[in-house]
Amino acid sequence: MVKFLKPNKAVVVLGGRFAGRKAVIVKQFDDGTRDRPYGHCLVAGISKYPKKVIRKDSAKKTAKKSRVKAFIKLVNYNHIMPTRYTLDVDLKDVVTVDALQSRDKKVTACKETKARFEERFKSGKNRWFFSKLRF
Amino acid sequence: MVSGKKTKKTHESINNRLALVMKSGKFTLGYKTVLESLRSSKGKLIIISNNCPPLRKSEIEYYAMLAKVGVHHYNGNNVDLGTACGKYFRVSCLSIIDAGDSDIIKSLPGDS
Repeated sequence: MVKFLKPNKAVVVLGGRFAGRKAVIVKQFDDGTRDRPYGHCLVAGISKYPKKVIRKDSAKKTAKKSRVKAFIKLVNYNHIMPTRYTLDVDLKDVVTVDALQSRDKKVTACKETKARFEERFKSGKNRWFFSKLRF
Repeated sequence: MVSGKKTKKTHESINNRLALVMKSGKFTLGYKTVLESLRSSKGKLIIISNNCPPLRKSEIEYYAMLAKVGVHHYNGNNVDLGTACGKYFRVSCLSIIDAGDSDIIKSLPGDS
């Protein structure tokens, strides 16, 4: 009886181009909107996971391997699988429904999300979120 | 989680309680609505039949764990559960939203 689809919840996207990718809920629309009359949420996720970094790698290689590609998407609740993990990254100001209106707004929002994800990855926290889900 | 040998008596009492919920309370039948009720935190108790596919069973259990809702594994298959609900179709999983006059929510989560 606890609401668990809240902002900062880590979820796995189940279908579409980003199937199997981990994402974090930024904003949820439990009752839908006029365009989408079903429960859905705005998620920011990882489109390309960072690669495995080993001790042998030079600084240049580490930088290259730690790159993350992000995506922003509005997903139906039926198409995500919630997990018990959370990701505390402040994306509310960057990721908005407004950002999805035009191509270049989306690109800038994705770039900013990518920067925040990368700094979180480099800090070594939330390791589960940045590891690829094998299936 | 599997409670040893379920005696005939407790099994019948579950059926009785379910019948009371069907009459006086609110419930939804079926996988899609069960997940919906869990997401919107409206469900208070989930009942799953014993021949529910294991992947689906684990998924419902995981959602229920996130929502902190009890899950009861009914001692019978979906045909039996449908009959217990008084329906002429099979019911693999159901969610009780409002128990009405029944005490099923208070008495069951202790078992499962």
